[in-house]
Amino acid sequence: MNRLCNSMEPRVMDDDMLKLAVGEQGPREEAGQLAKQEGILFKDVLSLQLDFQNILRIDNLWQFENLRKLQLDNNLIERIEGLENLTHLVWLDLSFNNIEAIEGLDALVNLEDLSLFNNRITKIDSLDSLVKLQVLSLGNNQIGNMMNIIYLRRFKALRTLSLSGNPIAEAEDYKMFICAYLPDLVYLDFRRIDDHMKELAEMKHQYSIDELKHRENLIQARLEDEQARREELEEHKAAFVEHLNGSFLFDSMYAEDVEGSKLTCLPGVSELLEAYKDKFVIICLNIFEYGLKQQEKRKVELDTFNECIHEAIQENQEQGKHKIAKFEEKHLLSLSAIRDESELTKLEKKIVEYSGDITELFNVLMTLEMQLVEQLEETINMFERNIVDLVGLFIENVQSLMAQCRDLENHHHEKLLEISINTLEKIAKGEFDEDLPDDVRSLFVDKDTIVNAVGASHDIHLLKIDNREDELVTRINSWCTHLVDKIHKDEITRNHKRVKEINQYIDHMQNELDNLECSDLID
Amino acid sequence: MEVLKEKVEEEEAAEREEAAERAERGEKTLRPVEVRREEAPLTQEALRDLEKKLSEILVPGKISISTKDTIDILKLPVSYQTNTPKEEHLLQVADNFSRQYSDLCPDRVPLFLHPVNECGLPKFVSTTLRPTLMPYPELYNWESCAQFVSDFLSMVPLPDPLKPPPFLYSPTTVLEQQKGNCFDFSTLLCSMLIGSGYDAYCVNGYGSQDICHMDLTREVCPLTLKPKEIVQQQEKAPAKKYAIKPPRDLSSKFEQEQEMKQQEQIKAEEERRLREEEERLLEAEKAKIDPLHGLRVHCWVLVLSGKREVPETFFIDPFTARSYSPQDDHFLGIESLWNHKNYWVNMQDCWNCCKDLVFDLGDPVRWEYLLLGTDKPHLSTTEEEDTGMNDDEDLDNLCKDDKDKSFDMPSSWVEQIDISPEAFETRCPNGKKVIQYKRAKLEKWAPYLNSNGLVCRLTTYEDAECTKTLEIKEWYQNREDMLERKQINKVTGLNIDYFKPGHPQALRVHSYKTMQPGMDRVMEFYETARVDGLIKREETPKTMTEYYQGRSDFLSYRHINFGPRVKKLVLNSAESNPRPVVKITEQFSRNPAKPADEDVAERVFLILDERIQLRYHCREDHITASKREFLRRTEVDSKGNKIIMTADMCVSFEVEPMEHTKKLLYQYEAMMQLKNEEKLSRHQAWESELEVLEILKLREEEEEAHTLTISIYDTKRNEKSKEYREAMERVMHEEHLRQVEAQLDYLAPFLAQLPPGEKLTRWQAVRLKDECLSDFKQRLIDKANLIQARFEKETQELQKKQQWYQENQVTLTTEDEDFYLSYCSQAMFRIRILEQRLNRHKELAPLKYLALEEKLYKDPRLVELLKVFA
Repeated sequence: MNRLCNSMEPRVMDDDMLKLAVGEQGPREEAGQLAKQEGILFKDVLSLQLDFQNILRIDNLWQFENLRKLQLDNNLIERIEGLENLTHLVWLDLSFNNIEAIEGLDALVNLEDLSLFNNRITKIDSLDSLVKLQVLSLGNNQIGNMMNIIYLRRFKALRTLSLSGNPIAEAEDYKMFICAYLPDLVYLDFRRIDDHMKELAEMKHQYSIDELKHRENLIQARLEDEQARREELEEHKAAFVEHLNGSFLFDSMYAEDVEGSKLTCLPGVSELLEAYKDKFVIICLNIFEYGLKQQEKRKVELDTFNECIHEAIQENQEQGKHKIAKFEEKHLLSLSAIRDESELTKLEKKIVEYSGDITELFNVLMTLEMQLVEQLEETINMFERNIVDLVGLFIENVQSLMAQCRDLENHHHEKLLEISINTLEKIAKGEFDEDLPDDVRSLFVDKDTIVNAVGASHDIHLLKIDNREDELVTRINSWCTHLVDKIHKDEITRNHKRVKEINQYIDHMQNELDNLECSDLID
Repeated sequence: MEVLKEKVEEEEAAEREEAAERAERGEKTLRPVEVRREEAPLTQEALRDLEKKLSEILVPGKISISTKDTIDILKLPVSYQTNTPKEEHLLQVADNFSRQYSDLCPDRVPLFLHPVNECGLPKFVSTTLRPTLMPYPELYNWESCAQFVSDFLSMVPLPDPLKPPPFLYSPTTVLEQQKGNCFDFSTLLCSMLIGSGYDAYCVNGYGSQDICHMDLTREVCPLTLKPKEIVQQQEKAPAKKYAIKPPRDLSSKFEQEQEMKQQEQIKAEEERRLREEEERLLEAEKAKIDPLHGLRVHCWVLVLSGKREVPETFFIDPFTARSYSPQDDHFLGIESLWNHKNYWVNMQDCWNCCKDLVFDLGDPVRWEYLLLGTDKPHLSTTEEEDTGMNDDEDLDNLCKDDKDKSFDMPSSWVEQIDISPEAFETRCPNGKKVIQYKRAKLEKWAPYLNSNGLVCRLTTYEDAECTKTLEIKEWYQNREDMLERKQINKVTGLNIDYFKPGHPQALRVHSYKTMQPGMDRVMEFYETARVDGLIKREETPKTMTEYYQGRSDFLSYRHINFGPRVKKLVLNSAESNPRPVVKITEQFSRNPAKPADEDVAERVFLILDERIQLRYHCREDHITASKREFLRRTEVDSKGNKIIMTADMCVSFEVEPMEHTKKLLYQYEAMMQLKNEEKLSRHQAWESELEVLEILKLREEEEEAHTLTISIYDTKRNEKSKEYREAMERVMHEEHLRQVEAQLDYLAPFLAQLPPGEKLTRWQAVRLKDECLSDFKQRLIDKANLIQARFEKETQELQKKQQWYQENQVTLTTEDEDFYLSYCSQAMFRIRILEQRLNRHKELAPLKYLALEEKLYKDPRLVELLKVFA
């Protein structure tokens, strides 16, 4: 590191430096004069060059929001930092600095060209977010491990790589290895990779690459599986019937139920439980299917509604556009007529006429808008009624199905109670000859205890069912309210926007006319 | 001798026919005369008059014979000149049938059963049909078949319009002569249709005058008819559940109704007038009533439904190739019909033309057949029982009794119909045909007949007399400039040229009034063939409008207004003095990659005002679009500095005001860019003008040259390929000769002396070799001697001549002297050549000898045996 700049004073990236650079690199000649007159905002700058400035620390760049190209080469930078705001950056040059680790690049998702030539980097990592990376220059660094190359396999767009001047580049297998592991690469160390080389490399490393690929494929497949499962669950959630397509609810009923599980070891209970479970699951499945069907219905309803609303708005817009186009045609003619008119009385008459036209346009546009508002309101109300009805129906049916669940539970409870009491009696009479675990036997001390135990189990079950039902009902109700609210709100925003737009346009027209008047009067 | 005899026979036959004709004619025409003869005493004048009349009457008969004479009967095959026993039998059956028929139906005309053929031999009509499938795929459908027949033959009227002709030629002869009457037409067409699988029949019946005379002047030309526009009623989508309700209609219903009523009244009035007009026109056009209506004999083709997916029975008129429904008014009645298997007589009443006829040939009540069991029985069983009781039963049985039940129609006596490719391409006789339609004339030519590729021309006229031309449409083929159709409107003077893909300038349609540049014209292009995606360019003297599609810069429209051409003092040609551009309007389609506020929809360069107007695209949910107007004035401020940019130089309206666009720098840059683009657009305008000039020039050149393209597969016309092929053949031939030479066996004459099939011994081989060599040596010596001898002879002659010359030198004329000198030089030349040849021979002879020796050593037959000596 016996560079010349080492002997020089390190500098701070302050406002003056940046302004100077921006001014120097800004527009030239006439445009430059204008720029000087007005000043250039940092956020309008697209490209910035800060080389040979002895900068020690990257700082003060947060204002350059729209920067596309940044050159910070030949400085004394030791850490990559302060680039978090430059999300539009496409080109970043940090060559000939003292950087030791790659870091702080996570925000630069648009980066395509990254140069870290001649630094002190030892490991390639922390580049995960740079999905668009095409050119990566890492020459003259201290990368020593060949396995760094495998990390680069995730950049599908990477075409150019330079690694010469690194310890790994001295390995005899260096080129072959890279060609084999990065088959999409076109340029390595500023030279084109020829096809022959590629073939050779592929043959040489075939086994290890195949293994690697296999592993990658497995991971990919697992990820996809997970994604699919998540999507399915999401879909079920949207239908408010998640986890009802199986024994999940039933299992959860028994998960917290200590007494219930204890009682299963009584004779006849397990069979009873089995039958109970089967029936319960069937009802759950019914709910699930019904929920999906209803969801589909709601979706169709919503889609139709959206489509109709969209069509109506579109048609209205077309009408408005047509009106404006017609007006504009006339407008050009009348403007030139007013300009050409020399006689004052006629001029005034024309101006009055013209402003009358503008007012009329305003009226027409506003009428259209109000008409649309009325029509939409009616349609929205209709939709609201329908969707509320649908939701109501859904809730009703789900509740009736849930009631069936409860009935089953009650039934089961009665049977269980009967068995328990029978068992109690048998135990009391000493006729019970089977072995029971101690904690279970402890329940059968007297009638109250066993009845309480069974009752507690029953209560827990009912609570679970109630909870699930409540959850479903609340969620669907809140969804419904949200939806309706949103539709209303959207409509109001749309209306505001349109009215604002019309007013703005009319104001502009009026202004233009006024300007014309003024200039004419002056003339 | 035989020829003579035949001629005599033929003359006799002709005489017989004449007599027969006269007799037939006598039925009608002679009778009144005879009656007159009885009434009035014969005077010389009356006799002469009669004679004159008689001779007049006979004229058509003579013509029919004279046409016959052109056929060279001798070249016809035997089947044309003789009848097989089966045919004889058939003729007998037919005669029998005919007799019984005339007995049973005395009021009907005799049947058309066995007219004589070109050799004067009676042949049954069904056997004259020769079903043939043509080798041309174009002739597989009935439309094209009928069109071909109607194009290929020229029409000859019947000798007697009220009777079927007494003769019927074979289709092959008809094809050769390229002319015929309706019976010939129908026979040929029917043969082709049956050959390609149609259920087709020849029909002998009665037609209207127009049909019989191939008179299309009252028909509308099918080419002028516009294809009926298919009214596609947009199926209205059912109103969706949430479709918005239309705003309440507040206008008065009563007023609307009144308005409607009024309009209806006006419309009705209009309609009535139009109808009256039409009726009047129709009245005027209606032809005068034909006195022979219903008596004119015609022959046409009937195609029954069923085969070849023909959905409905229809008629084809062979003259015009048009199809008619059996309900058509042109066809007035049917006598009989036949195909290659059988013959049917119509027993139905034709009082209402052919409208009520039932074409169920299996029904013996309606159709009396000649041969039994050759055709499918169409009729359902229940009806058949009824008909058994019918009065016609005896008639049915009559013929059945006479003939063998298994008697089939003998196969056709006609040779296979053959149309050569040349004839097929030339189509019409001499390659040209003219058809006159109602207010239209259609002319057809064979391809390559006209040097400019014209194949069809349709002229439409304003009036029925065809004097005022309305429009001319011309079709072209095989043009190198891909011109396909030309349409000239004589009223407006508008010419429209249509091109097929492949014109060097990708031209598709060119409509113009004059070829002068800068006038009204529209050019359409094949936009995919052009780099700039131009679809259409419209020009008027003051403007030029261009439409584009599929451009990467999304330009879709450019309109240029020109000012008056500036007159320059310096004399320049028109090309270098382009018209000044006043205004350029450009429209762009939406570029999805840009936000709407930055995507220009229209930009207008007002070049004289130095003003640029921009209109941007409308945002998705907006109704107003941003606008910007740049005024480009170079002004100087109070201090004398140039003002670069001020706020009032750019007037803009923005739907959503943005910060950065307010900056002068932004506006300045935008304006600079627009200035550049203005320059480019002006350049484009100039280039477009140049292109128009270039195209016009090219078109003129093409029109003048009108070269035709010739397919490389067309071996007859393609000169280049012909030459190449001939050269190839020549090379092949030479190659063949050389091979023959190479195969010459030098050992063969010597081997022939030895007993064949035996293996050579060594001794024999050696002898063979020696013989061969010595023989060759002898030949070489002989050749040398021959040359030597010639040489000596020449020299001797020359010496003689020289002697003679020296002796007579004094007395010689200059001519003799010249002659002598020329002889000398020629002789000297010959001698020199002989000397050279001799020397050459001497040089080459040993080499040749050695070569042969080596060859002999290597000869496969001798090599084994001579190895030891080598």
